[in-house]
Amino acid sequence: MRAYLAVAVGGLIGTGLRLAFDLAFAPPAGAFPLETLVINLAGTFALGWLVGGLWTRPATPMWLKAGLGSGVLGSFTTLSAVMAAVVVLTSDGAFWVGAGYLLASVVGGIGLAALGLELGSHLAHRPMPHEVSDDGATL
Amino acid sequence: MTGSLSPIVVTAVLVAGAVGAVARYALSRALPVRPGHLPGGILIVNVVGSGVAGALIGLAERAALDGDLRLILVTGFCGGLTTFSTWSVETIELVSGGRWRAAVLNVVVTLAVGLAAAAGMYLAFR
Repeated sequence: MRAYLAVAVGGLIGTGLRLAFDLAFAPPAGAFPLETLVINLAGTFALGWLVGGLWTRPATPMWLKAGLGSGVLGSFTTLSAVMAAVVVLTSDGAFWVGAGYLLASVVGGIGLAALGLELGSHLAHRPMPHEVSDDGATL
Repeated sequence: MTGSLSPIVVTAVLVAGAVGAVARYALSRALPVRPGHLPGGILIVNVVGSGVAGALIGLAERAALDGDLRLILVTGFCGGLTTFSTWSVETIELVSGGRWRAAVLNVVVTLAVGLAAAAGMYLAFR
């Protein structure tokens, strides 16, 4: 129950941060959605760092992991905005902008997740997690 | 997304995001990731959220959905429901355990089905 509450509060915070970014840096229609790319890459790096570090400490409570991982960072980052932007860009004739955006998101996301996990676990002096942490319940 | 936003709309976006996050969390608790397997809960929410976002943006294009409601449902609910960070980090965790096939499948299936859902729903509702 406490974990659900933490995810709800984290969801408010993560969505609020993303909304603030969107309102401040929204690109004109047809342009490269740089603000969502920055949000997704920054959030992915942060989650990797936490999962490699804080998550591997046995004393870290479940509700804190769920609140920060599933809640704040899970809601801050978004896949639906990426998929929808690629579709709209393609439909508006900006196929290559959409393709470049998708490629930058995927390659950047995979790379920064690896970098975050590597740095987080290195600094915590722990091995990198070899399976999906907590069966996927906290990220 | 210009113009002034009322505090009520901003509050509704945040609450919708929290509802999406709780739905995502509930599903990933209900479908725990088995070692070496695809993280099914995250795959489902990402595909469903992409499809719903496609439909809503299609509706908004023919003015069947107003701007505030679009912000609440697309930026709030769909944004909170879907996640990019969890998907990427779980993929790397699969790679670091040598589960290459599951990792590649996680990327390819999410992108292929997510794009198909978003495109199909966008075209159907536009």
